[in-house]
Amino acid sequence: MITGAPIAGSSLAPIKASATFDPIFRQIRDLVYKASGIFQLDEKLYLLADGCGRRMKQLAVCTTRGYWDLLNTPSSHDAELRQLLNEITIGETCLFRSQPQLDALRKVILPEITTEKAKQISKRLRIWSAGCSTGEESYTLAMNMLEESDRLLKGWTVEILATDLNDRSVETAKAGIYGDYALRNTSDYYKRKYFSIIDEKKLQARPEVKKLITFSRLNLQDDSKMLFMKGIDLIFCCNVLIYFDRPSKSKVINHYFTSLNFGGYFFLGTSESLLKLNDQFHLVHFPGTIAYWKPSLKSSKL
Amino acid sequence: MTTSGDTEIAERVNRIENVPAVPAILLPLLNMLRKSEGEVDVNEVVRLVSYDKAIAVQCLRVAGSALFGLARSPESVSAAVLSLGLKRVENILLATCMGEILPPNMWVLDPVGFWRHSLGCAMVCRKFSEKIGVVDPDKAYLGGLLHDIGFLANCLAFTDEFAPAVQRACDEQIPLHQAERITMGFTHCETGRALAKKWCLSDDMVQVIAHHHAPEMSETAHSLVALVNLGDLLCRMRGLGYGYYERLRADLIFDPAWSILLQEHRKLEGVDLARFTFEIDGAVAEIYELVSAVFAPAPARG
Repeated sequence: MITGAPIAGSSLAPIKASATFDPIFRQIRDLVYKASGIFQLDEKLYLLADGCGRRMKQLAVCTTRGYWDLLNTPSSHDAELRQLLNEITIGETCLFRSQPQLDALRKVILPEITTEKAKQISKRLRIWSAGCSTGEESYTLAMNMLEESDRLLKGWTVEILATDLNDRSVETAKAGIYGDYALRNTSDYYKRKYFSIIDEKKLQARPEVKKLITFSRLNLQDDSKMLFMKGIDLIFCCNVLIYFDRPSKSKVINHYFTSLNFGGYFFLGTSESLLKLNDQFHLVHFPGTIAYWKPSLKSSKL
Repeated sequence: MTTSGDTEIAERVNRIENVPAVPAILLPLLNMLRKSEGEVDVNEVVRLVSYDKAIAVQCLRVAGSALFGLARSPESVSAAVLSLGLKRVENILLATCMGEILPPNMWVLDPVGFWRHSLGCAMVCRKFSEKIGVVDPDKAYLGGLLHDIGFLANCLAFTDEFAPAVQRACDEQIPLHQAERITMGFTHCETGRALAKKWCLSDDMVQVIAHHHAPEMSETAHSLVALVNLGDLLCRMRGLGYGYYERLRADLIFDPAWSILLQEHRKLEGVDLARFTFEIDGAVAEIYELVSAVFAPAPARG
């Protein structure tokens, strides 16, 4: 029976699967964001809920309230948050992980950078894949740069520096061998053009792709080594800084700022932000993605 | 555009014989939106919706679509209102009413894309104004909803000129207003202003419609116009644009609109724009489904 009384709190009614969510998952979402910069959309909250569920099972914690308390206990906070981040970012690595980033790179950024640097004698583009893990992002970038080699990058030298802390990851990356899961977003066009068949389940990146990339081990927290990373045009660092505490994260971000050329860009993961830890970078929007920009000298008047 | 050009635009808009028929319930609805939450009378909502049979049927259909996850389709308008919550009912009503403004054969743009953008912008503007306490959130919603009505005027009064402009925007991946300026010599901001005056919309809405691409030119309602400018940009960046890739790069914090807002609303400095962007993504899927449900062919009767 409808009455003439106003609806109390006529806010949006919960919809779809999110209706089943315990409100604590939103609190955990906020806690994860504040600590790591990773934001889980409402429609992806189930991933967070699944991750929490797996952790609760391993820890034999029965209630979400109990797990929330554990995450907020100073003695277990850091370690548990790390475990939870591992759970929610698991399986994210693959080639062509973020098409909006690649579109922004090829359709907006490359025309801008190549025009800007056209007057320089050395036409060199340097890209750094920081925390490259097993190389998926590095090869994706290399293939996309090769696609532009007859157009925007004609006459340019492209160098991709790919670094990771983990020796084994670096070795795997150097081999450039990937299976169906890692290649699930890779079109047949790229598979045919840039890979050789190893066996029926595995493909290997061809030498002309590998030639663009230099893999090496680097600890992002090693200040002396970080100082050597100079003259970079683009940095990709996806889902790496999420594991750092705020002071370490801030230090690495400052290194990135120094490493980048004026007018260079720094990309994080799809749902990852710098948490306003650095006010020298400008947050810029491209269709479907954001990046951080080191203002060019021309724009310093801003 | 010169003053004589403005006069010519106004004359052509005024000559539109089949004025986009504003459904009779639309204006009372918009008035209702201006009331504060607690003052809205549910009976009034139900009465308005039931007034126009076609719209009532459409509302029930949309309310019963998969989007809202109701256990079963509502059997009456009042049941739908209660199940969905008032804010969502407003969205459905507006989408339904606005969807009826132009007959299908009059569209030069894709109507689904148009309403998706308009409703998306309305939603983003409301969220943004709530976050920073800038302008009345309902006014912001209305501004977002109506800012692009110039495209309706273009479809009706400038069909021959407008079609090549749309084509050019898609081909060159440039913003529609730039393509309009190049090919037509004027934009939907000028034609929208003429239509807004014909519809006797409020002065604030006229300012939004006329200046949302150049908020610094607004004569009054500067904050509202600036807010809609940013809402429009954010929508185009987050998948609620006009259905083609725009080679856009937006540095919102250094945008004139941001400076306008910042002058009057220091709270803006504290906004985590990256997080706000991710939050918008959470609502994009809902807008997609809502507008698709409104424009889906009606189920066969029988």
